[in-house]
Amino acid sequence: MGWLPISFGFPAILFGLLALPVIWWLLRLTPPKPQTETFPPLRILARVMRKEETPHQSPWWLTLLRLLMAALVIFALADPVFNAREATPASGGATAIVIDNGWASAPDWEVRVATAERLIDDANDAGQPVVLAFTAEQTNTEIGPFDAATARERLAAAEPRPVPVDRLAMFTRVAQALEAVPDATVAMLSDGLATDGDEAAFQALLAGSTGQLVWIEPNELAMIGVRESDNLADAFTFSAVRSTTDALPRQATAAAFDDRGRRIAETTLSFGAGETEAQGQFRVPFELRNDFVSIVVDGQNQAASVYLLDENSRRRRVGLISQAEADAAQPLLSPLYYIRRALEPFSDLVEPSSTDLNEAIPEILEQRPAMIVMADVGTLPDTARERLVEWMNEGGTLVRFAGSRLAAAGNDEELLPVRLRTGERALGGALSWTEPQPVTEFPPTGPFADLAPPTEVTVSRQVLAEPTADIVERTWANLADGTPLITGAPRGEGTLVLFHVTPEATWSSLPISGSFVEILRRIVQLSRNQGRIDASGEGAAGSLAPYRMIAADGQLVPPGPEARPLEPGQRPAVTIENPPGFYGTEEGVVAHNLLTPDATFSPIERPETGLPVTTAAYAFDEAVDLKGPLIAAALALMLLDTLAVFWMGGIFARRSGLRPGPAQTASLVVAALAGGLVFLPANADAQDAQPDDEAAIAAISQTRIAYVVTGNGSVDAVSRAGLQGLTRYLVEKTALEPADPAGVDIETDELAFYPLIYWPVDETAAMPSEAALARVDAYMREGGTVLFDTRDQYSNGFGANAASPSTRRLRDILANMNVPPLEPVPQDHVLTKTFFIMPDFPGRFAGGPLWVEASFDAANPDNRPVRTGDGVSPIMITANDFAGAWAIDSSGAPMFPTVPADPMQRVYAYRAGVNIMMYMLTGNYKSDQVHVPILLERLGQ
Amino acid sequence: MARVGEAAPPVAARDALARARLRASLVPDLLVEARRVVNTVIAGWHGRRKRGIGENFWQFRPYVEGETMSRIDWRRSARDDHVYVRDKEWEAAHTVWLWADPSPSMLYQSRGASVSKESRALVLILALAELLSRSGERIAWPGLSDPFTARNGAERLASYLLHAGELPARPNLSQLRRFSDIVVAGDFLDPVEETFEWLDPLAQRGVRAHLIEISDPAEESFPYSGRTEFTDPETGQKLTAGRAETLAEDYRRLYTARRQELASRCAKLGWSYTVNHTDRLASDALVKVHMAMTADVGHGGR
Repeated sequence: MGWLPISFGFPAILFGLLALPVIWWLLRLTPPKPQTETFPPLRILARVMRKEETPHQSPWWLTLLRLLMAALVIFALADPVFNAREATPASGGATAIVIDNGWASAPDWEVRVATAERLIDDANDAGQPVVLAFTAEQTNTEIGPFDAATARERLAAAEPRPVPVDRLAMFTRVAQALEAVPDATVAMLSDGLATDGDEAAFQALLAGSTGQLVWIEPNELAMIGVRESDNLADAFTFSAVRSTTDALPRQATAAAFDDRGRRIAETTLSFGAGETEAQGQFRVPFELRNDFVSIVVDGQNQAASVYLLDENSRRRRVGLISQAEADAAQPLLSPLYYIRRALEPFSDLVEPSSTDLNEAIPEILEQRPAMIVMADVGTLPDTARERLVEWMNEGGTLVRFAGSRLAAAGNDEELLPVRLRTGERALGGALSWTEPQPVTEFPPTGPFADLAPPTEVTVSRQVLAEPTADIVERTWANLADGTPLITGAPRGEGTLVLFHVTPEATWSSLPISGSFVEILRRIVQLSRNQGRIDASGEGAAGSLAPYRMIAADGQLVPPGPEARPLEPGQRPAVTIENPPGFYGTEEGVVAHNLLTPDATFSPIERPETGLPVTTAAYAFDEAVDLKGPLIAAALALMLLDTLAVFWMGGIFARRSGLRPGPAQTASLVVAALAGGLVFLPANADAQDAQPDDEAAIAAISQTRIAYVVTGNGSVDAVSRAGLQGLTRYLVEKTALEPADPAGVDIETDELAFYPLIYWPVDETAAMPSEAALARVDAYMREGGTVLFDTRDQYSNGFGANAASPSTRRLRDILANMNVPPLEPVPQDHVLTKTFFIMPDFPGRFAGGPLWVEASFDAANPDNRPVRTGDGVSPIMITANDFAGAWAIDSSGAPMFPTVPADPMQRVYAYRAGVNIMMYMLTGNYKSDQVHVPILLERLGQ
Repeated sequence: MARVGEAAPPVAARDALARARLRASLVPDLLVEARRVVNTVIAGWHGRRKRGIGENFWQFRPYVEGETMSRIDWRRSARDDHVYVRDKEWEAAHTVWLWADPSPSMLYQSRGASVSKESRALVLILALAELLSRSGERIAWPGLSDPFTARNGAERLASYLLHAGELPARPNLSQLRRFSDIVVAGDFLDPVEETFEWLDPLAQRGVRAHLIEISDPAEESFPYSGRTEFTDPETGQKLTAGRAETLAEDYRRLYTARRQELASRCAKLGWSYTVNHTDRLASDALVKVHMAMTADVGHGGR
């Protein structure tokens, strides 16, 4: 069973499955093949059998059910175990478990722990001590050998670390620990990623007296890491990398978070097929980009998917000031041209609208730039100068370029980092024996120390600094003859930088070299960070305290006890002592990211070794004994089968056949209610008497006909008298003995108590509120019936569109309700037969039709006296003034004459009322009466 | 368990004829009590005991002005001064249509029955043909022959049947006229409404019908039990009863209810309804039908 993680305790029993076809054949015969009989009076027999008829063979689904049942039982007997655990063969004197707990193990750490636990169990079973080592831990951690219990404790205490693994160091220790043990089992639980020293590490590990190697690596390497970011002019880009084994096209979502953890931008990373690298872009305004603190690939839960951003990656505003008139015809000679081209990719440039320094400098300062570049600006107007100095002291970085104007302007202590000699120095040329000077190594104290020196750059003219005592430390770049090319000095919190050459390519080739861009970028990057962190003055110079660390699952957490301050200088390695995260203080932090910009994820290779190697996979111990569930399923199927057989045997059909549909429903409802009462006694007790209870009890203890109180006294009196008359007639003629009629206010009273509500539509009464109409609508939907009486049969006017005020009011009322399609009572409607046989329904007036819900699905195929069909019409509309005809005074005499004055019409009106009432209370009972002989027959009378 | 009943092969008409002759010999001559007949009057062998067209003398009566001179019996008139007309007895043949249900359901014969229903029906019909022919009535098979008179009527009818191909499931009754009789032998297992759908036009035309229900004992007693699959020989429809014995009572009730309804409707129309079981003698039914045809029950239409 390679395709399913199921193994069997007794696989031989599975041969029992071969018996399934036999069982199938047997099932086909059961129920036993019937005797076939020719039987001419089959049609009569068919009437007897009706629903009882059994198909002549078991239906396919029943057979399937039984086969499934048999198969389940066979499977259950074979003692199946889901995800059976494979015991690792333990040999030798000890088991060493080496677990990679670097960042790549974080997402599925539990599985690794579970796997390791099994190994510990196996070792325990074999009575071996356990050496337990974690490759991302500090190398001085204790690794054992432990007994199984201690090993388990240490395993439970271990956690993944957000740092790369250091296999060599740990393997060496493991090898030492195993030195004395012959034929030890070494289990390598790798995270699947290769590291640089793997080969040596495995050599060290397996060189000793190792007996066998258990090699466990993840099935797939699904990690995505962010390794580089760049803040471009129009977008924030970053590059992500994935494992080289992950070759399918893949999409991932990356998001940017601000310093309060809010998700402020989102983008999609798309890895093409076979690509291990993808570029992501956040195209958001740079103000927002500057708030980015971290970039996280969603759904990764490991440290490499988090990329932290510090000040270095923020885009800065750079103001550009030049006194030279912009010459559109010769852009290459414009002093700002190269600066602009160099700065554009990583900063936002601000240029003043005028060249008048008095206006230009305040205009730029209003934009709060991080840096201002002044190309060959000589003296500044006083006010502008003051503001510029003030801005610089507050942290601004002013970069000046030399030029003829600057050379002529004379010294300015505050706006020049060094004292300059007046005039300029020319190197090379026709009348000079000097050569243009190249640039030499950047001095190690300067900010450009780690940049490659632009050796190809030559300088032919420059302004010269006066040699002073601090000239060396202020020099950021030198020419080969030792004269400074770039000098810088702190000014307050800010920095002042002077390029001793012009920003165009006239004095030197620096502006057209690649280094120019690097130098400017470095200045832009350092402008604020350097100053601030230096200004914080905490700890040793340049060492940065851990501030926020990336946990193994990619969250930003306070630093743990092992985190040490970050030593400045070259990019330090990410180790357990310098985990990735922010270093620094609240004022300024430096991001220490896990991945280097050229990081790749390549899969680890199993070392070539002569030892026996057992390969396994990470897995939870998910062995589930399936015997019980299978037997339970078989039992459930057996129950189903029994029910199905009962059903096919017609047990249910026979039971339900004893009652007509609605009654059965009612009995079910009653049963459900009874059940509810039985099971909810607490609720029933909890209900205290409500104020309306008495009225409600009175309303429901006897059947009552209700009428709508319209508010018009005479109409209401007639309604009441009419229903009284009908009630009396019902008592006389039928078994129904209703109590006195009830007047209901549809706005407030409970309507559900009454089977029928008589509603004389009165145009003079107030229009009912929408809420009231909604209640009536609900009443009708829940099974009640409203009998609308417009009482306007003879005042309706003529013509199709003629409508009396009452009819118009009725239309208004019904416009707010869900009225079903209506039809005049058809000749074979059950309403015409419920008690008296009534062809029409006269009231005080004759001739108006009685409208009821149209019964489209009613069928009357046998030409029976009554059509079949379920349900009771929720609405009846007449214009015949029923109440007027039924109304009697206290002495029992009719109150109104009928129109025309025919005594029989009143009788018919009463009969109509009786029929309506019977229809209300019995529903389609009468149309079901045609079945009585058969019902009696079935009852076995 | 052997089957209770099965479809028997159709009976050869000649074999049926022989047995019919045997039956017929047991029954006295059948003289159909024919009454006032208007249109279908043709000379027959039995007198109507009233004057009319015929060969036998009936009476002399005085000549009335306006009668044809040729009708005067001069020999009698010569005896005295009066002129007499010689009347003859009205001799008329009665038309009796005979039809047996040819449907497949008639082929059924259960173990308890001596013959199939079809065989019994044919025997009865041919026996009647023999009887009627012997007494000079005109007999016919609707859709197969016109009414004819022959001494060997049964034989001729049998030969018609022999040469007829597929017989329709329902007789073509359009030829039947007023005052004729029709004898229908069948199992009448269709719902009563359906049966009367094709019989009702007869009542409207004033035809007197004699229905002979040929019933197999198994159909009536329903001796089945256990799991049984019933097949309708006509439609091929199948029904399987899990326990057939539980159905017996209901079935018998419905079966007899159908028979009673048929009988009562026939009685209402003045028709006769005779039940003959195939395990009983055919002569029983023959006698009954004979009685019914000779009995002076009025035509429904009169």
